Amino acid sequence: MLLARVEGNVTATRKHPSFEGWRLVICQPINNAGEPEGSPQIAIDAHGAGMHQRVVISSDGAAARKLVGSEKSPVRWLIAGIVDEHEPGVPV
Amino acid sequence: MKLGSVIGRVTLAKSLPELTGARWLIVSPFTREHFQRGSESLAGVSKDPSLVVYDSLGGGVGQTIGYVEGREAAQPFETPPPIDAINAALVDDIFYNPF
Repeated sequence: MLLARVEGNVTATRKHPSFEGWRLVICQPINNAGEPEGSPQIAIDAHGAGMHQRVVISSDGAAARKLVGSEKSPVRWLIAGIVDEHEPGVPV
Repeated sequence: MKLGSVIGRVTLAKSLPELTGARWLIVSPFTREHFQRGSESLAGVSKDPSLVVYDSLGGGVGQTIGYVEGREAAQPFETPPPIDAINAALVDDIFYNPF
């Protein structure tokens, strides 16, 4: 799992049918200080993450397939959760 | 899924029987800089190494695609073929607004 920041989204008409109806958000992996690290990853979003919100993304393909409801889906990255506190009592 | 631009195609003269008839694209992965430059420049080759991606959507040279890497790439098939990257989406638009 990676800490990331939502920096946009992607639209695609022609795609694997299992992605139909899912938001595809651009997640930039970041370090603890919030600086970008590596290339952005596109994840499916079940939580409605907002722009520039910190999220945790997971590469668990099995969980992502279960989420989209298709065993034949190539989906891999999903937003596992939205970060609200860095450490207890310190909101982002 | 990652984004990349299609920079070429590959054909195989001889291949494993599971892969006959497949369409292959050479894809140059998008780095953060590509996203920042947006769609105004046809972002060329990135410093990340290019890769060969299985394609069933009909991507063409110059297009931006979303590809999935890893074991999940073989998931759409009845009998999993030995592939580790698949074209999952032909990207129409990218809305990018860096922090």
